[in-house]
Amino acid sequence: MGLEAPYVTGYLSEHFAEGDYGTLDGYIARGGYEAAKRALTQLTPTQVVDEVKASGLQGRGGAGFPTGQKWSFMPAGRDKPKYLVCNADESEPGSFKDRLLMERAPHLMLEGILIGAFGTGAEKTFVYVRGEYAESARRVQRAIDQATARGLFGANILGTGFRHDVMLMRGAGAYICGEETGLLESLEGKKGQPRKKPPFPAQYGAFGMPTTVNNVETFCHVPHILRRGAAWFKGIGTDKSPGNTIFGVSGHVARPGLYELPLGTKLDTILFEHAGGVPGGRKVKGVIPGGMSMPILPAGMLDVPMANEFLRERKTMLGTGGIMVMDETTCMVRVGCVISYFFRDESCGQCTQCREGTGWMHKVLNRIERGAGNPDDVDLLLDVAGKMEGTTICAFSDAAAWPIQGLLRHFRADFDAHVKLGRCPFPESFAL
Amino acid sequence: MVSEAAPAAVLPAETRAAIEREIAKYPQRRGALLPALHLVQAERGFISREQARALAEIFEIRPIEVMEVVSFYNMFYDRPQGRHHVYVCTNLPCSLRGARQLLGALESHLGVKPGETTKDGRITLGHEECLGACAYAPMLRVDETYYENLDVEQARQIVDRLA
Amino acid sequence: MARITIDDQSYDVADGRTVLQALDDLGLLMNGVDVPHYCWHPKLSIDGSCRLCQVEIEGFPKLQIACNTPVKDGMVIRTQNERVKTAREGVMELLLVNHPLDCPICDQAGECKLQDYAYEYGAAHARTREPRRPAKKRVELGPTIVFDQERCILCRRCVRFCREVPGTGELMVQGRGDQSVIETAPGEPLANDYSMNVADICPVGALTTKDFRFKIRVWFLEDVPGVCTGCANGCNVHLGVANNRVYRYVPRRNDAVNETWMCDEGRLSYKRIGGEDRLREPQLRGADGRLVAASFDAAIEEAAARIRRAIDASGPGVVVALASPHATNEDLFTLRRLLEVLGSSSAAGVAVSNGRSDSLLIKAEKAANATGARALGFGAPGPVLDRIRGGGARVLIALGHDVLDPAFGASEELFRSLDTLILLDTHHSALERVAHVVLPARVAAEKLGTLTNFAGRVQKVEPAVEPAHLAYSEGEALLRLARAIGLTLFGGPASEARSEPEASGGIRWEPRSISRAIGAAVPAFAGVDIDSVGAEGLPLRGTGP
Repeated sequence: MGLEAPYVTGYLSEHFAEGDYGTLDGYIARGGYEAAKRALTQLTPTQVVDEVKASGLQGRGGAGFPTGQKWSFMPAGRDKPKYLVCNADESEPGSFKDRLLMERAPHLMLEGILIGAFGTGAEKTFVYVRGEYAESARRVQRAIDQATARGLFGANILGTGFRHDVMLMRGAGAYICGEETGLLESLEGKKGQPRKKPPFPAQYGAFGMPTTVNNVETFCHVPHILRRGAAWFKGIGTDKSPGNTIFGVSGHVARPGLYELPLGTKLDTILFEHAGGVPGGRKVKGVIPGGMSMPILPAGMLDVPMANEFLRERKTMLGTGGIMVMDETTCMVRVGCVISYFFRDESCGQCTQCREGTGWMHKVLNRIERGAGNPDDVDLLLDVAGKMEGTTICAFSDAAAWPIQGLLRHFRADFDAHVKLGRCPFPESFAL
Repeated sequence: MVSEAAPAAVLPAETRAAIEREIAKYPQRRGALLPALHLVQAERGFISREQARALAEIFEIRPIEVMEVVSFYNMFYDRPQGRHHVYVCTNLPCSLRGARQLLGALESHLGVKPGETTKDGRITLGHEECLGACAYAPMLRVDETYYENLDVEQARQIVDRLA
Repeated sequence: MARITIDDQSYDVADGRTVLQALDDLGLLMNGVDVPHYCWHPKLSIDGSCRLCQVEIEGFPKLQIACNTPVKDGMVIRTQNERVKTAREGVMELLLVNHPLDCPICDQAGECKLQDYAYEYGAAHARTREPRRPAKKRVELGPTIVFDQERCILCRRCVRFCREVPGTGELMVQGRGDQSVIETAPGEPLANDYSMNVADICPVGALTTKDFRFKIRVWFLEDVPGVCTGCANGCNVHLGVANNRVYRYVPRRNDAVNETWMCDEGRLSYKRIGGEDRLREPQLRGADGRLVAASFDAAIEEAAARIRRAIDASGPGVVVALASPHATNEDLFTLRRLLEVLGSSSAAGVAVSNGRSDSLLIKAEKAANATGARALGFGAPGPVLDRIRGGGARVLIALGHDVLDPAFGASEELFRSLDTLILLDTHHSALERVAHVVLPARVAAEKLGTLTNFAGRVQKVEPAVEPAHLAYSEGEALLRLARAIGLTLFGGPASEARSEPEASGGIRWEPRSISRAIGAAVPAFAGVDIDSVGAEGLPLRGTGP
């Protein structure tokens, strides 16, 4: 089974191949929970937050918001319970790094949670694991039980008087529950429909209490930052995007899998040096760099450092680092059909633009794909995508629009050919 | 149509006890609704109308609010299913590596379309969105287990082994 | 307070309000400042999903939804520029993608917010070539509502209404994305006392009432403001009138009385106006004991003669009266004057039927002016009934027949013992069997006057239809009766009201003057009359707002 360790490891994953790293004793033997101990016994919560701020760590769940800053939004008082949520709802197509982290390093994640809890004054963490990740949930629950039994969670942790509990909740199959406030709704036992903002989770979050939501991988960086320091972290990656991340590479590559590399590593380096390039002697046609919500890049634009400040210049983003490679046989209209089907299926349905726009785009794309497209359909798609951006309750609508805009920006010829020929001009393309 | 279960059997005592244990973990009762639905569904593979009503009582909400939640999530069913769910991921990375052919092969092999159940009640076939196995495509989820890096023959063998 | 600027005009608004709430508070929403919206409703929770109410607010890079943006001092808002209009066009186009072209057969046409805003903000042509999502049509959601799932724009007002107002929550949004549909739980229909309000709040023709279905196009209806007369709440309504007929009631907003709602029973009570059981002709009981039709004048003359005879024989104390809690304040004040002038005011009361009530709008007293009757001096009916029982009353002037309610223990036999029962009523009842003179009266929808609700709020009614038969309001009939007896009720230099015999021998019934006369005679009504109460009514002095 694939999920042992990344093909290229780094500070996050260097021990993953060592079988017992996932157990509490195995983790502790390799310095596990030392950073948390130091934080709880020698630092103040403010110092912890400041260290994470200084490190420049950005969230690894797709939005890239600075973590330390997010933690500092939590109110200081003790009059209300405060919560952390670990967003383990990884459902972005092309992303499977959180699964690896949960299966191989649940304690690394938990240690990050403990440090974050101390820094924010949270009394409880809810780890929300997507329903389909049964194995991850099993291993995380086991790790929670082990750590709690050992006094690392619960009352009076490490004799410091700090109390924190962790519990696991499984989702039930809805991509939108990966959106921060959609997750909170689901956590509360409702449909995962994102909330209007304001209020923001730090004011009104889980069960109405101040809450911070962070991604699995984000928490995993925290113990390393506390152990080796913000300056060490800032020295990895780029100025604006420090640290490593675990890229997931899939699609038409020789060695699909996970790769832990510094942010800023060039995309073509990842594809050709690490992932073995495109098999069968074929050429790359396009690469989605950051999970399916992110616009595609054509073959000529792959020399881009994988960090937001560079990717934004090419009208795409890092997202979750889920790199999907498509070779020259690929019909981009079919790619559009797969993408638009996903967003239509996963829209929660609240906002008009998203609910109707995702449906409309999918229908138009399907019609173009099967050869019944009209010349003005492509411009129509662009127009509808444009209407979906900018004002909805959450960013799902934008995420549904961007990939289609990306496909049309760089591969319009595929679409025009479908319309003109009345059929797909790529006989070898993957089937729908 | 499923026959109505006797009232006492709608939610057996152990299930109720397990639900109460979940409820105790949450700051508000309702937080435990999704775990409760998972627990109830584990028995017969779906959540019946009577069970939705019983859950509504436990959580002090209306039955329609339970049904609404069931209808929102892919993994909850309000009607009987096959004994096993066999799902092929057909999202982009998997499709790029032949997932759709795999699904087609299983459709032929089992004689059902996605969403349908085999006549012997063994298997409900379906397709799902990204399951987080993109580098190990194509793949299947059978109930709680992933089978990855499959070819058609392997997939057939897996489903044939299912009782 | 916050000072905000909307389209270059400044306004002072309360803190803590959203932009839409502030516009609503100012009375400007869609009435000077157009911010089209679907999911927002002034009396329901904020939804924020339709996205139509987007406006431009300085300092915010993206457009903001007006329904969920709190006002701040110094906020500058624009509602009519190109950017906002383009955003509205975008939302409208997307809403129409799956909306069926049902206008020719849809009851909502003419009062449809989709039509209205598509006209203002939509494109002239549809660009979609895709088949629309199929959904259910003509579903009986419950006893009162027809549901067309295809027309639904998922504003979710109906779901929120059922959960928040009657608290019965029969509706849900089932599913997800563009497969979302409004549904009831199987076997649990939409059935609560306020169900028909969902048809009002549904911006499109997805939810319509069975009662109104296919009856008439709304553009033929004139909306006459009025008050529901089903109970003492006095919910404000618009009567939908065409062809001298009332086709429906819809609630009229009055935040002090009924907000934007009314109960189903009251809403359907318009049927009583043109009901089969209306009393349509004056009648007299002949010597053979049978009631026969008579002219109004003959009936009045007979009534007058009987009263004169009784008083001549035994003095005015033998005349008693029961007021109707359904008649207007003006009608009842005329009765009071008549009794005063006769010298019989000591034995008069009002009987009101009671029924169930709830914590929302439904009141126990099933009449619109019981409080008014009491404020005008008509107390409990007990003393009147005792006088009749004791034989001290020989003549009863009865307005309405509520007294037959078993709660009062008054049987037909009791009334049979009277020498004279003069009945003025709107609908048939068993009281006719023992009446000697029967005079048809007008219902509230056929007259100008005021009614006083349970909280003491005096509200105006105006004539929306003319009865198909000859009928006078109770007050006018009593004025005629007085004249036939030889009495002047509202004469004298001190009073503004006059009854003037016209050349034809008729009477001029002037409810406006009588209304003002009430104010002069009864302190609680000072300054509270037909002309002063306005569209939303005024409280009696000494009662709350």
